[in-house]
Amino acid sequence: MLPSRMKNSIFYAAIVLLWFATGCSKVEYKKIDDPAYLRVFNNLNYKIGIDNKDEMLPFLTMLIDPEMDQNGMPVNAKIKGDFLDQRDPYAPPYPSHIGSGTSVNNPEYPGRENVLVGPVLNGFDLSSWAQIPSGKHRVVFMFRPKNTVPFFNLDAKLKKSFLIDTTMVLDSKEVYTLHVLQKDYLTKRNGIYLRKENFHKLPLSDSSVYVNFYNMSAKGYWQADNDAKGGNEYGKGAMGNGIKDQMNIFVTLYKNRTVSSPKLAGYNGKYLGNLTRNADVLEVSPYYSFPLFADASAGGIFTDMWQRFDFLAPGMDIRNIPYGPTVNQTDGNWASINCLTPYPNYTRWNEIVLPNMLVNIHSGTYNPRSFATVNTIEIVNGNVYLSTIQRKYAPPIY
Amino acid sequence: MKYKSLKKFLYLLSVLWLLALNSCKHDDLHIDKTNENFRAGFDFVKNNYDLSLFAAAIEKTGIGPQLNSATQLTILAPNNAAFNILGINRPGDLDKMNPDTLKFLVQRHILDERIMVKDIPFNGIDVRYRTMAGTELYTSTVTRDNSNTLYFNGSLASRKDVTLANGTLHVLDRVMKATTNTTVQGWLSARPEYSILVSGLKKFGFWDELSTEGPYTILAPKNQEFEAVGMTAEAIAELNVNSYMGDRLFGCYVMRKKHFFVSDFVVFSIMNGNSFYFHPVANDTYILTITAGRFNYGNVYDQSIGYNVEVRTNKNYPYDIITSVKGHDQKAIDNLTDNGLVQDLQGILILPEQAVKNN
Repeated sequence: MLPSRMKNSIFYAAIVLLWFATGCSKVEYKKIDDPAYLRVFNNLNYKIGIDNKDEMLPFLTMLIDPEMDQNGMPVNAKIKGDFLDQRDPYAPPYPSHIGSGTSVNNPEYPGRENVLVGPVLNGFDLSSWAQIPSGKHRVVFMFRPKNTVPFFNLDAKLKKSFLIDTTMVLDSKEVYTLHVLQKDYLTKRNGIYLRKENFHKLPLSDSSVYVNFYNMSAKGYWQADNDAKGGNEYGKGAMGNGIKDQMNIFVTLYKNRTVSSPKLAGYNGKYLGNLTRNADVLEVSPYYSFPLFADASAGGIFTDMWQRFDFLAPGMDIRNIPYGPTVNQTDGNWASINCLTPYPNYTRWNEIVLPNMLVNIHSGTYNPRSFATVNTIEIVNGNVYLSTIQRKYAPPIY
Repeated sequence: MKYKSLKKFLYLLSVLWLLALNSCKHDDLHIDKTNENFRAGFDFVKNNYDLSLFAAAIEKTGIGPQLNSATQLTILAPNNAAFNILGINRPGDLDKMNPDTLKFLVQRHILDERIMVKDIPFNGIDVRYRTMAGTELYTSTVTRDNSNTLYFNGSLASRKDVTLANGTLHVLDRVMKATTNTTVQGWLSARPEYSILVSGLKKFGFWDELSTEGPYTILAPKNQEFEAVGMTAEAIAELNVNSYMGDRLFGCYVMRKKHFFVSDFVVFSIMNGNSFYFHPVANDTYILTITAGRFNYGNVYDQSIGYNVEVRTNKNYPYDIITSVKGHDQKAIDNLTDNGLVQDLQGILILPEQAVKNN
């Protein structure tokens, strides 16, 4: 007979073991070796109306490396980006969609999807980019009906509308943005556009705001009839009817958000560069910059400065624009963007309003403190999209 | 000693208790029992006073037992008011119809799959299903303020998702008009009340294309409308083709590459605020402005919709309004054929003197 103390400890051990056996659940950590970083936007911004009611609703499912059945219908996929809705005008520098709202509609991928996202790479926050195994992938975009049924649970006849079925090669540790675009306005041909970003490799300064521009509009958009393309809509401004294939870009910086805000010296209609419509060639546009503290009187911690960009056809002078400030019908010769948070008594004329490019946030002991960002402005068929990428900044001290 | 064994017993008890907890496995409990309170397809229709004419039609075609035994079914049941629109007021009136036509009519309202509102993609336009008759069914649905508006071939579903033991039933307030194996051309030529329009389309060269794929939407005034403004068959026969703008005079009745149910205008006005559709007249500045909606506001129960066409000399101001014509005849709108639709129009859009060539 064993001593009773030993017996007791055997009992204890048995109980503890049982607790262990029941309490353990295995946690599987996902890991992707050699990832590439991918962010996907649905730029199909046409509206289904009476005139084009037979066109497909621009509501998509992205399937990467899908499995097809014998009829060519996708039945499974390694990576699925479902409910891909038309993109939002503003893609903020932080993942703003996941966990917010009850809708399944996703304005970008990864967006609301719960997937592994990118790290902070060379100081840039890539948490809006999904990790994808690098290498060659088959990519399929499908039109899907607008409801809340996941793609593979849809009725078989609703899973037959292919937008594009193609392959792409993603290199390890590279940053990509993938766009679904209309390539030709007249034939309504759609396609994709994969851009290998390079902002994380450039020697960009912390004290300058960077921005580059793309005009990814469909061929023939700006030439098309203004009524037919529905560009005369409140909020779209002169941009709604499109801009010409070749444009010059000018920047104007304003000191603060008041009605009589003064323009900052040296940045009153400053020429930045040229913008060519290009929905095919996959190259990164040059980044233009202006100082975060272009307003020397702001003190170097916080600035309320906002930005305006004017697009003018070659040969036109920003000091002598031959259209009134409220004219929307400019024949594609002039359009403008204001990047600001509208202030009291702000009067909108014919520009598109987007958020300010600066990040103003509590950091360290300063609340708020201004930070420079890297931005991309994309013009697609009369709509403008601003994507802002932020750097790391110090956490707040309370 | 006694106390010690009690202690041991307690240990043992807790171990047993844990073992018992682990050994218990609760399977989900399912009871698959048919609910006997729901009726099968035909029985439901037969027992509903408001569907008595549709029940009589099913009875005459003899597919009632089939509807009761089917497993997955959608019945789009036009109510009695819907049959009244067609001039069918009592079961006896159905005898005047050709039995094959009647059978086709009934089969067009039955689908051999169960389609509930939640199965139809919301804000879907022309989502197509196949009916028992083998025809295509165009379904459009739009949601506003949590209320669903659902149309089948332009007919409003006034009651939706009625549970049947073997499927679902939607009540329609208009019988769906559809004719298979015919084109808009065949449809018009089979109806003598549209003969003046047909002669005009023939004379100005719009007729032959109407048998091609299309799709077409034809705005069709009846003979009486033409005669009311003096455009009799003789007057049209005497018109000199070369001195009139054909695209304006008769081309305005032919909408190419379009297929519209009247309900489409309602659906789009809810969905994206497009309540007007501007249809340009070919080779002309003239434009048709089409809009649709309810017209009988005096009666809240009358949800009938009709359309209105306004002819303007130009899309943008300044323009003159030439005519404004309505198409409210519930009996004569939304005639679906294989290559488009014919929409009855209660008036004339353009008079010959408004389409004279100036040079």
